[in-house]
Amino acid sequence: MNPVPINDNPFAGDNSGIQQRETAARWALRIGSYIVVIITLAIMLHIFVKGAPVVFRTQWPFVNTQFLTELPATLHVIEDQQGNHIETDVNGADAVKKKLGDNFRAEKTISYSGGGILGPIVGTALLVVVSVGVALFLGVACAIYLSEYARHGKFLEMVRLAILNLAGVPSVVFGLFGLGAFVLTAPRFVDVPAERSVFSIPFGFTTLSFEGWDTCVLSGGFTLAFVILPVIITASEQCLQAVPQGFRETSMALGATRWQTIRYSVLPFATPGILTSSILGIARAAGETAPIMFTAALAFKDKLPWQKDLPPLPADASIFAHWEQSVSRFLGIFTESVQALPYHIYTLAAKIPQNEYAERAQYGSVFVFLVLVASLAASSVLLRKRLRAKYRW
Amino acid sequence: MSAEPTAKTTPPPVVQVRDMDFCYGDSKALFDINLKVKYHRVTALIGPSGCGKSTLLRCINRMNDRVPSARVTKGEVLVKGKNIHDADVDLTQLRKQVGMVFQKSNPFPKSIYENVAYGLRIHGEKNKSVLDEAVERSLTHAALWEELKDRLQANALALSGGQQQRLCIARAIATVPDVLLMDEPCSALDPISTLKIEELMHQLAHEFTVVIVTHNMQQAVRVSDYTAFLHLGKLVEFAPTEELFTNPREKLTEAYLRGTFS
Repeated sequence: MNPVPINDNPFAGDNSGIQQRETAARWALRIGSYIVVIITLAIMLHIFVKGAPVVFRTQWPFVNTQFLTELPATLHVIEDQQGNHIETDVNGADAVKKKLGDNFRAEKTISYSGGGILGPIVGTALLVVVSVGVALFLGVACAIYLSEYARHGKFLEMVRLAILNLAGVPSVVFGLFGLGAFVLTAPRFVDVPAERSVFSIPFGFTTLSFEGWDTCVLSGGFTLAFVILPVIITASEQCLQAVPQGFRETSMALGATRWQTIRYSVLPFATPGILTSSILGIARAAGETAPIMFTAALAFKDKLPWQKDLPPLPADASIFAHWEQSVSRFLGIFTESVQALPYHIYTLAAKIPQNEYAERAQYGSVFVFLVLVASLAASSVLLRKRLRAKYRW
Repeated sequence: MSAEPTAKTTPPPVVQVRDMDFCYGDSKALFDINLKVKYHRVTALIGPSGCGKSTLLRCINRMNDRVPSARVTKGEVLVKGKNIHDADVDLTQLRKQVGMVFQKSNPFPKSIYENVAYGLRIHGEKNKSVLDEAVERSLTHAALWEELKDRLQANALALSGGQQQRLCIARAIATVPDVLLMDEPCSALDPISTLKIEELMHQLAHEFTVVIVTHNMQQAVRVSDYTAFLHLGKLVEFAPTEELFTNPREKLTEAYLRGTFS
């Protein structure tokens, strides 16, 4: 029996530096991750610290209702001889000046920084409704066709490539496309075609004129729909593919047609995923600025889309007696241009010179916007969890 | 195994495959297949993996249509005397009358009731009492009614593997098909569940013509009246099961049964 040397370590490292490289690699990766986390937290914290005081109050009702329920307005700042600053709106300015009398020294006006942001919130909501409606219909139809009907081959690969490329197109390009396609040339029914109409098809009682929809919710919503289409198509197709092939085979073997199979044995089980992806699409659509710059958004508008100078409906009759008018007025909402949150933020940020009074509206808008997007994302996660539990296989 | 029916009462074969060649794209999977499946008998298709037995089974209800490049290149398949590749054959009607049970039990993640009623619903049956009656009848046939009658609204995925497969059988027979195709229905099941399904097959043969693919030769012996042995896409031997297993005519069959390919 050979004696075993006491201090001999059979597993000693060879000191070739492999341990040092291992440690260095781990720390480099770890530091990279920390930087990402820190920057993300810094952004969130910055916006929270600056934005939350605008939206929340320390006293009941704890929320700055004025900021959420008023339209943006010009802020008037009046300075008196003692150097005090009084913030007021355009109506209050004269009263304040009269009260100050000789004590008045100067008045500054800062556009869009007073009032609230109801206009942009409403505009973004309308844009999101239209764009998600259009994108869900087109996107799910396209995904079903690609996944269930189309034959695998070169053509399908090309379509997929095209969709992926669509996702990579800069959003300002979509904006220009929307300007050309929806604002200037989309077809609409009119009595007399406008001069700029590309061409028109007379039907006698009306004319289908390719003269565009103007800058309005509809144009912006359709443009945004094309921005989020690739997301929705790709995600929906993945959800459809995730439904086991066995469901389709069984359904077909029982004599179901292809559409019956999709309707009863594929779509119900793909819906949770499709809804989740569509909510992420909402977040994306709500956040895009460039596509709506030329197609829907205004820097400032002093009316909500349904506030028009129209004669009121006769008070004596019920809403049903004038349903045609009611419907056309409702649809009229979508042919109005609006303010939108991301574009409002852009407008505020682009104001030069910057000053302390503009900050309130800027950070308030950003904070509200972030809260909206975060709650959308959270609801998508919740929805997915609940539906997953219901449709498991 | 049931006795041979007398010549006088023998009905025509329910399924008849005549000189059939079958291709996936350029590669031939089945060569010159001839097969007559007898009315209300269990016919087993056996053979080594990749011999084409599943492909042959799926020719009978044209499930191979789902594979883009797959097609019958020669010969014909007759079900109830009709060539199923004729232009005037409606696939949904064919598959309603030729039911199928798959290797992997795959109930829909719906209630037990809805699973069984699925076939009838897609063929337009809305009458509640007809559906109720069909569900009870099918589950009874599949030997599940007593176990499940109190929880028909429970999710089918809550059932055990063997119950799921019997539910799939109930679902397939709910439309009262003439032929029931089974593609290795027991290969994913434990021995006790397998036994139950094998017992079931004897019962089913009273009502349906059954064609079963199995890789388990003992199972073929236990459940089938006729056995077809396939090898490399060719039908080597087709005979009453007892005859094929005790006294095979072909050398290749004998070698396969002995477990040796000499």
